[in-house]
Amino acid sequence: MNFIKSIVFRTKVKEEKALHLSNEREEFTGKENESYWRVVKKQFQKNKIAVWSLRIVYLFIIIAILADFLANEKPIAVKYNGNIYFPIFKEYVVDLGLSKWDKELVNVSWKELNYEWKILPLIPYLPKNIDFLNTSVSPFDEQQVISKKWKHWLGTDALGHDVLAGMIHGTRIALLVGIISMGIAALIGIFFGAIAGYYGDDQLKMSISSIILYSVGFVIALFYAFGARAYVLADALGNSFGNFLLELIISILLFLGILLVFQFFSFLLKKIPFLFQPITIPVDIIISRLIEVVVSIPRLFLIISIAAVVAKPSIFMVMMIIGLTTWTGIARFTRAELLRIRNLEYIEAAKALGYKEFRIIIKHALPNALSPILISIAFGIASAILIESTLSFIGIGVPAETITWGSLLAAARQDASAWWLAIFPGFAIFITVTIYNLIGEGLTDAMNPKLKQ
Amino acid sequence: MFSYLLKRLFIFIPTLLAISLFTFIISINAPGDPVETMLNQNVGGDGSSGEKLTNEKTYQTKRHELGFDLPLFYFSFTNATFPDTLYKIPKKAHREMLQRLSYKYGKWKNVSDYYHSLQKLENKIVEIEINEESTLPLRKLKDAVNVLYTNYSEEKISTTIKNIELNILQNGLLKKNCENEFNNFINSYHHLLIDKAVANKYIPVIYWYGLNNQYHRWISKFIQGDFGISFQDKRPVSSKIGDALKWSMILSISSIIIAYFIAIPLGVKSAIDKGKPSEKLISTGLFLLYSLPNFWVATLLIQFLGGGGLNWFPTFGLGSLSEGAPFWDRFWETAYHLILPLFCLTYASFAFISRQMRGGMLDILELDYIRTAKAKGLKKRVVVWKHAFKNSLMPIITLFANIFPMAISGSFIIEIIFSIPGMGQLTLSAIYARDYPIVFTVLMFTAILTLIGNLVADILYAYIDPRISFTIKK
Repeated sequence: MNFIKSIVFRTKVKEEKALHLSNEREEFTGKENESYWRVVKKQFQKNKIAVWSLRIVYLFIIIAILADFLANEKPIAVKYNGNIYFPIFKEYVVDLGLSKWDKELVNVSWKELNYEWKILPLIPYLPKNIDFLNTSVSPFDEQQVISKKWKHWLGTDALGHDVLAGMIHGTRIALLVGIISMGIAALIGIFFGAIAGYYGDDQLKMSISSIILYSVGFVIALFYAFGARAYVLADALGNSFGNFLLELIISILLFLGILLVFQFFSFLLKKIPFLFQPITIPVDIIISRLIEVVVSIPRLFLIISIAAVVAKPSIFMVMMIIGLTTWTGIARFTRAELLRIRNLEYIEAAKALGYKEFRIIIKHALPNALSPILISIAFGIASAILIESTLSFIGIGVPAETITWGSLLAAARQDASAWWLAIFPGFAIFITVTIYNLIGEGLTDAMNPKLKQ
Repeated sequence: MFSYLLKRLFIFIPTLLAISLFTFIISINAPGDPVETMLNQNVGGDGSSGEKLTNEKTYQTKRHELGFDLPLFYFSFTNATFPDTLYKIPKKAHREMLQRLSYKYGKWKNVSDYYHSLQKLENKIVEIEINEESTLPLRKLKDAVNVLYTNYSEEKISTTIKNIELNILQNGLLKKNCENEFNNFINSYHHLLIDKAVANKYIPVIYWYGLNNQYHRWISKFIQGDFGISFQDKRPVSSKIGDALKWSMILSISSIIIAYFIAIPLGVKSAIDKGKPSEKLISTGLFLLYSLPNFWVATLLIQFLGGGGLNWFPTFGLGSLSEGAPFWDRFWETAYHLILPLFCLTYASFAFISRQMRGGMLDILELDYIRTAKAKGLKKRVVVWKHAFKNSLMPIITLFANIFPMAISGSFIIEIIFSIPGMGQLTLSAIYARDYPIVFTVLMFTAILTLIGNLVADILYAYIDPRISFTIKK
């Protein structure tokens, strides 16, 4: 029976998809079997600029992953006292707590040891290393270095930090900001958007008993998960961000657990007929209002005021704040798309077949709404990187010891003649923002060929 | 239409309430004690005892004056370890210490005893200090008491107590005078440790405070137009914001006007010329301009055209002419200082608007009625400006909604970079100084203007496109 169900359903979906495509994307459904994503991919690859942008993103990802091997004070491999070491690998292992440094290598100045042979990283500096002999040198200045290997290719700042090393390690932060903040934004945005769009104002029905139980459960869960644990969370935040994340996850699990208990109660209460009367909940109105509230607060003000209040600033905090304030765009797109999709026949078919609504939303409705979500994520990454670099530029929320492109650029404000500090980090920000915007445009063109023509 | 307007205005209320609550939550969680911030400007003092008493008194009066001695909100939803009168404890640091203690040990009565015995000990010290002269052990004891006031970890408290017992109270005079108080304190501390009720923190309680609370006071004054006084320099918030708003408005409005004047013709032109090499160049240029971060451009301009390079333009402030200078001199001086900031503000929005305009125009130019108009033999100029232009304004109107909040917060970063005393600088310094009356007012106003902007945009839509109607439901 199930088997037949699924066959019927699959053909239905296929038909619907084909119909859908033929309505909107006539010119690209020449072959019947060609999937939508293959069409998109083909279209995207026609756009040379977007393809090149994507390649630059790959390059940045490689730089970000290999940052420790590209710019580091430690050598990649050395022979010292007859032994061969791999100090950078070793550091990872030590950081994970799996091993310890040899006695003779604890607290050594890696630059000054006498090696039998060594392989140095491309840039033999960390962003935090200070070169007292070369402060505020431009790339073209005479630099007091041992050999060309130790040259500061993009100059140094007023304290003697190597700019190129800072930029290489900054790539990591820039990409992380984009990924993590948009990851958070996408989770929240898709959740709210999907619920608002799928249920609209008329489809979500709940019995009075569940409404009462859920609201009581919500308050109680809030109390036990966050109220009673407030100090645990605050202390963890003071400790480290990882610790905070762990406690936060425990809190959230506790919250969901308590809600589940209340759901079980609602099962029992269903026996009472009077309380079982269903009411429609206008989720769309509620969520749209919520979005309106968040949108009408000026985002930069909002982020700056939250970031200034946080007791212990960290770059992950900034990412979280950006994510928590930028989900509205994604939610709007998802909502609009699902409002359209929920009226399509294949969703009705799925409902008629008795699938759970959760499954319909996740497996059948959302995949078809993915294109506008992807587009807004691409643009969102660009704006998240821009916001983060703006914040580090004015020195809010990002701790002073974290070196980002924005904080490197900010160093140029102190030294009016350090043109190299103004040009290189700014250019990195510009390029990154531009390529993400270009990818966004490329996706838009590829998914809505009609617009392009 | 009218009922639609009313409905929209009605929706403003929950939105504004949410925003005000949000700002309020941020402000009460901000580190630092606002009363102390406000007092520290003029109360210096070396911390001698006579001064301490008067300080305490000024602190209390100031606190009362600012309304910080009221409960925070209409109700509080906490656990059973916290009493309903917690807000009455004056200092924020003490309050936090007591909260932590009672959260840990569970019985407020014991914590309160502990606090009172500590206070008695402190009063005794002050008494001795006034009567006798201040000695080194006395000062040490005072420091130790201050440590006790702000610490809640068991370890820290017991080491401090031991320190007092072993080192400080060896002094005969001191021992004679405050042994009683000290023993009481020790007893209350031990009682606190022994008589625990750990489960109390898992019992939820709700306290009702009524209308006389900080939030209510704040919001009702805000509605009446009284935005309070700045904690930093005690000037009324409205006058501070008025001064700053002047510069932000000058910057933003002139930048918006310039941007629209260049962008709209350029957008239309590039739509008409679609496909020509010149248009491709313009479009690419606009895209690049749009992606340029304005703080980078500002830094570059300062580097190369300002002080570091050619020194053509001033890069700091608004000039140094006094109020008495002739108007036109002042005008030119200011305008000269505003050239670079204005450029940085304008280029991005101008690029963005042109791109939107181009997109809108391209969509319209492909419609049938334009083809008909062309086929009729109308001149190209007439077709474009008379037939297509009005209809292609739709995307521009969406942008128009942003103008209102832009006027307040649009030039934020640029103002900070060029040290222009506008809203950006004002807000940033207010955030740093925890000057929440200003932050609150700025956030509320920007939110109100955003809502108004959206409303105006919706009305403009209906004006331009009569098919849009607000009265009929879908």
